[in-house]
Amino acid sequence: MDHAGFEIPDDLVYTKEHEWAKEAAPVIRVGITDYAAKTLNDIVYVTLPKLEERVTQFKTMGTVESIKAVSELYSPISGTVTKVNKALDSHPELVNKSPYGEGWLLEIRPDDFTSERKNLLDPKSYAAHIESLQR
Amino acid sequence: MKTTQLHAYHEKHAKLTEFAGYEMPLWYTTTTEEHLAVRNSCGIFDVSHMGRFMVTGPESAGFLEGLVPTHVQRQPAGKAFYTLFLNEKAGIIDDLIIIKQSESGFLVVVNAANAENDMHHITQHAPPGGIEIEAVTASSAMIAVQGPRAMEVLQPLTPFDLGQLKRFRSAETDVLHQPAVISRTGYTGEDGFEVIIRGVTNENPEGALLVWEKLAGASTPCGLGARDSLRLEAGFPLHGSDIDPETNPFQADLGWVVAAEKKGYVGYDEIVRLREAPPDVVKRGVVLDRGIPRHGFEVLDGRSNPIGTVTSGTFSPILRRGIALCRVKNASSGPGDAVKVRVRGSDEEGRLVKPPFYDEKSYGWKRGAQR
Repeated sequence: MDHAGFEIPDDLVYTKEHEWAKEAAPVIRVGITDYAAKTLNDIVYVTLPKLEERVTQFKTMGTVESIKAVSELYSPISGTVTKVNKALDSHPELVNKSPYGEGWLLEIRPDDFTSERKNLLDPKSYAAHIESLQR
Repeated sequence: MKTTQLHAYHEKHAKLTEFAGYEMPLWYTTTTEEHLAVRNSCGIFDVSHMGRFMVTGPESAGFLEGLVPTHVQRQPAGKAFYTLFLNEKAGIIDDLIIIKQSESGFLVVVNAANAENDMHHITQHAPPGGIEIEAVTASSAMIAVQGPRAMEVLQPLTPFDLGQLKRFRSAETDVLHQPAVISRTGYTGEDGFEVIIRGVTNENPEGALLVWEKLAGASTPCGLGARDSLRLEAGFPLHGSDIDPETNPFQADLGWVVAAEKKGYVGYDEIVRLREAPPDVVKRGVVLDRGIPRHGFEVLDGRSNPIGTVTSGTFSPILRRGIALCRVKNASSGPGDAVKVRVRGSDEEGRLVKPPFYDEKSYGWKRGAQR
């Protein structure tokens, strides 16, 4: 789905803080949305949690920085970090180029995705959320 | 919110942001791209939001002489010089450029955020007669043309031979047949010009838009994002972040602005006292190995003792590293020393440097033709 110039894939779920989550059993892959990447403009630095670190739904787990600003990253789910995208160390601009592809951030082994998923937005609700922010 | 004469263009092409009460462009494409365009080619900036005052009349030179720590009457006509407004405690009210157009005509260019305060400061000290002070911010536009290709980009728009204009010199001429002041100045570290186009208002902005669009066809429009990263990479202070009314020139590495044997200006008594001893804190540059330092972050020495604070920081597109200007205890450290900056709980390693942050053989106005 394309919404007001922002790509919002149909097979993902979203936070109000513009992270996406994708089920790739047994883990959940996480990134930031096209809207977040475009709003930050040019991402030059990404700080992610370490492997095996615990993250909690809607709590901060890192930062994404543009030249001018720092933006907090919030975890869409609770669980344990199993993988981080190493390519972002030297190529943070991948987040801008491909926020849903090569610019993914990390993978998390979820505690209970089935119940926490209810707290996340489906593509349609996320599109409505973006629209409300642009007004 | 206030807007400049070029707002119609920005609205169409830029991501907008609020700055000093104005709606201004933050970026057009990306800050990195715009930044690199200025270092490698040419970028243009709308700086019409900056405060501009005409100070004229037989008493104007004498009046300004008593207001700033730099010589005024001694400067030749046509000089555009950097100086400071100080308070009685020698704290920096603002930093500014004075363009001396004649012995009795000065164009004063100040920071947008301080324009109102500066006007108050000027009028407060003004003599009862012999001078006129007129704000011309709303009746003129100002465009900065910056980068190694700046002359090539601007020259087709003016009959004035820009090659004749030395650095920190200014000329009254015209640009696309409109009266204009061109000075060879800027806030990026690169060679370049600042063009003030007279007689354009928000009601009649066409003349300014025409100049902007013509320049934009041969260069890269740049927003406030690149303006900030460029000035920081060059080591220039931003008033409100790196300098403020609580900071004196010696603490900010601006002692060179204070003329050695000059007397009797606002703040002079305190300058005399401050001169007697080295400053308690000094300005330094920091380059980090990892992370981006930001305003307010703590600076530590090699043994993790706190020595100061980051006053402004960013990511340098040239170095591909986090860089910052900071205020640290004097004698605690010199260029080359290892320091750390506490970035959200993590002590990131780096070293002190003397700005500019870039290699002056490769970047900045000192390279190439200017030498």
